Amino acid sequence: MTIDQLIGAGVLAATLRLATPILLAALGGVVSERSGVVNIALEGCMLVGAFFGVVAADQSHSVVIALLAAVAAGAVLAGIHAVAAIHFRSDQIVSGMALNILALGLTSYLDYQLYGTTGTPSDLAGVPDVEIGLLAGVPYAGDAIAHQNAIVWASLVLVVLIQLFLFRTIPGLRLRAVGEHPRAAETVGIAVRRTRYWAVLASGVLAALGGAYLSLSVAHSFTDGMTGGRGFIGLAAMIFGRWTPVGALVASLIFGYGTALSFSLQGASIGDVRVPVQLLSTLPYILTILAVAGFVGRSRPPAADGIPYETEGHA
Amino acid sequence: MKRALAFLLLATTVVAACSSGNNAATSTPTASATASATATPKPIQVGLVTDVGGLNDKSFNQAANTGRLNAEKDFGLKTSVIESKKQEDYVPNLTTFAQQNYDLVIAVGFLMQNAAWKVAKQFPNVKFAIIDGAPADDAGAAQNLPNVANLFFKEQEAGYLVGVIAATMAKNKVGKATHNTLCSMGGIPIPPVDHYMAGFQDAIKTVDPSATILIGYSNDFVDQQKGKEVGLNHISKNCDILFQVAGGSGLGYIAAAKEKGVYAIGVDVDQIDVAPGTVITSAMKRVDKAVYDTSSSVKSGSFKAGDNFFSATNDGIAYGKLDPIVPADAKAAADKALADIKSGAIKPKTDLTVKP
Amino acid sequence: MASNTQATPTGPATAPSVRQPTAQWARGPAVPIASVVFALAIGAVLVLLSGHDPISAYADLFRGAFGSPYDITETLIQTIPLVLAGLSVAVAFRTGLFNIGAESQLLIGAVAAGAVGARFADLPGFLLFPMVLAAGIGAGAAWAAIAGYLKAARGVNEVITTIMQNYIVVFVMHWLLQNGPMTAPNALGTPASSPIGAGAVLPIIIPNELVPLTRLHAGIFLAIGAVVVFWFLLWRTPLGYELRAVGLGARAAAQAGIDPRTHTVMAMAIAGGFAGLAGMIQVTGVFHRVFDGFSAGYGFDAIAVALLGKNSPIGIVLAALLFGAFARGGSIMQANAGVSSQLVSVIEAIVLFVIAAELIVRLLSARRGRKPVEAIA
Repeated sequence: MTIDQLIGAGVLAATLRLATPILLAALGGVVSERSGVVNIALEGCMLVGAFFGVVAADQSHSVVIALLAAVAAGAVLAGIHAVAAIHFRSDQIVSGMALNILALGLTSYLDYQLYGTTGTPSDLAGVPDVEIGLLAGVPYAGDAIAHQNAIVWASLVLVVLIQLFLFRTIPGLRLRAVGEHPRAAETVGIAVRRTRYWAVLASGVLAALGGAYLSLSVAHSFTDGMTGGRGFIGLAAMIFGRWTPVGALVASLIFGYGTALSFSLQGASIGDVRVPVQLLSTLPYILTILAVAGFVGRSRPPAADGIPYETEGHA
Repeated sequence: MKRALAFLLLATTVVAACSSGNNAATSTPTASATASATATPKPIQVGLVTDVGGLNDKSFNQAANTGRLNAEKDFGLKTSVIESKKQEDYVPNLTTFAQQNYDLVIAVGFLMQNAAWKVAKQFPNVKFAIIDGAPADDAGAAQNLPNVANLFFKEQEAGYLVGVIAATMAKNKVGKATHNTLCSMGGIPIPPVDHYMAGFQDAIKTVDPSATILIGYSNDFVDQQKGKEVGLNHISKNCDILFQVAGGSGLGYIAAAKEKGVYAIGVDVDQIDVAPGTVITSAMKRVDKAVYDTSSSVKSGSFKAGDNFFSATNDGIAYGKLDPIVPADAKAAADKALADIKSGAIKPKTDLTVKP
Repeated sequence: MASNTQATPTGPATAPSVRQPTAQWARGPAVPIASVVFALAIGAVLVLLSGHDPISAYADLFRGAFGSPYDITETLIQTIPLVLAGLSVAVAFRTGLFNIGAESQLLIGAVAAGAVGARFADLPGFLLFPMVLAAGIGAGAAWAAIAGYLKAARGVNEVITTIMQNYIVVFVMHWLLQNGPMTAPNALGTPASSPIGAGAVLPIIIPNELVPLTRLHAGIFLAIGAVVVFWFLLWRTPLGYELRAVGLGARAAAQAGIDPRTHTVMAMAIAGGFAGLAGMIQVTGVFHRVFDGFSAGYGFDAIAVALLGKNSPIGIVLAALLFGAFARGGSIMQANAGVSSQLVSVIEAIVLFVIAAELIVRLLSARRGRKPVEAIA
């Protein structure tokens, strides 16, 4: 086991790449739950974002249109969840779960119909990397961030923007109020249901962007179920991060780091004993539990999170 | 609450009773199929039961499905498929086809060996075939049955062929392959996967013992990002030719090669179109041919139970289309290796030389 | 004002279904059936669009699930682990906890049961079976208790712990069974453990003459027993009362002298025990050894089962039956009608969604201008 395998520039670069989809899902979760709606369907939003992004990239050969299609798909799925949760006041967890199953079945079905025999095209328009020439010279840290994808940078920017929005702006305050004390918020004239709709739609957009990252930046193709549970890891990151964007970033980075280690350490030995590859894969999960247990402890969700709201009259 | 249950059950039974006329009955399973009682010959029925990866896995299950569809078209068979969702489904899915007196039931995947053994014993008049396996009893021992064809592939031979191509290119520093380092990634460490990589490594050691060999696993057959990370890791260690044996995850391994401008090798089916210019060839395992041939053997009466090997000798394995960058000498070496394997002069190893 | 230890996955309320009274069921059987029919109608349109005949497809679905005694036993086999996993999730919800880890608790119960069953394979049934049963339930309970302990002692949200635990168990199983310490030596390279002893096997309970080829095993009795235990525990014992009290308001419960922290650990342990039992039943009734493989998704389905069933015994059984019927009928639908399995998933999702959304109730009430029954705090 070498130092390079543990914290080399390659590992740090991998950490960012692996953290990004989880971070975007977590940001979606933060926005939605801060307004009081539990959105378990993040996984499904990621998946439809990944798929429809690929379809749009194939049809239009334009990255911009592909990304727009991806986030639109995420918004649509989240919109269905929003209607169920906000208008029909249904059980938000079951609704989310059902939409996840729907997303998986639908994208797999359409994948087979459209690309069944040939697979997704190999020349899809992809989201480009951002090359920062200045940094290439910087030893070690430069390598880690000099060649990251545009969406990686976008997600970092989004962390800052959403953090500022939620905690430093009036609309953000209103959103949080809706999540904490909707009755009181309504009394002072805040449109509870409308705010929640926007929040849930935004969460769909963010998660879908994470999915598009996977299909358009990383894999440049689509395979069934390619999100592999990142939506749920994102939820865990959201809770770990105490429902704040910065916290979600920290949590995602820790998880991403553990995953990166699980690959960089393949082949490493401790003394004479080779660590089995399957056990290496448990690293990110154990690391996360230790981190939460050791450093985070209790985290409190928004007070009205998950409780359907009954308006008194107006929206 | 009780009323709801009663109502629901009543409703469904009524619906079920009303429509139980049409299809072949799932309700009267008989162990012995009396197939030819009718005067008009009915078309041969072939049923495919896939493993949990689904039909869209872009390699294994998909190849089997292709074979089925081709056989249906060419031989006028009636065929069907059931995708298993979890391991508990293997036995009931195989039983479904057997109960309906299908002529041939194909279990796609070596995880289904035990399930196939159980069901094949219960339906001695139905023919079965297992891809990548033999009937395995509850203790895990292979038990050949008179109605089961064990379709084994010598993946190590396919791995050997592409290993020859790769090692020859690396040795001669063709194109981007300048570091004489080759690597492979498996999905999970199971025999069908490891055999490919064992043959690959054997070939490299034979062609150029000084070459560096790396190996990794993504521990996943679906996750492309994980495959890509393993790939980027290997490339950072100077690997120039990446051999993927990991299904969907392996597509990520190929994506890493594409991103860094080096080469990759596909698996199971011809994957040159996955990344033109990056994929130089593929280690092919003609699962589609196995399904196709076995289906036709049932129709023609030449079904052979027991071990059936698909290997170099019967075109059961091959190397896929070559990218233009592959030089003539590499191709020639591969063709010679193929001839040697057919003649028995070379027996590619099935055990990994370089372990993770 | 809401207490800290209540939970939806993340939110403070105990799963809304616990807090809401049985609005849907209160209207009798018409509403859930109408929901299912409505959803199936939407599904029929999709089947039609995909080029298949909906009538025969649905006929296959129903017949596959309930068409004959054999089919019914197959549906039951699918249902058994879902019931137990559903109970696992439900008992946690009742205590205000979100147990996403039923999957890993099930798997670890399976591994423990399989290991004990194989290691002591020669022991007679009256010794071996209780050992295997205890191993399965105990392993699941202990594993879940870790999550409970972390929550009680360090406040770690159980959603995080249990999600992580799910993945950890899967990879550890891979290591154990892929040519690892628990792999039975065999030439074929199958990643599986040695078979369990005959004394631990759950026998098939219906003779072959009655229902040929049935695989319905005695696990169904264990499952029914577990449902009874669930009901009895929660509604007829002091412990159960305390657990529910914690679920409805930990702060209030604490003031009544009920320590939410110990009850958190106990609830998770009990939840893990139910799930571990499910795993043990799969090993002793279906597989007779431990196969490495990919997770079957029981854990996630169980969440929907528990919530659809309003965390109550009969509801859970019915919801589990719904899932089981879809699992069984869906494969027949694919085999006979050629409807792709993904489309079956989509239809299943729509059914779930509509039931969850209680759309019918809302639509009917909205039209008549009445508000549906309000959530009781």
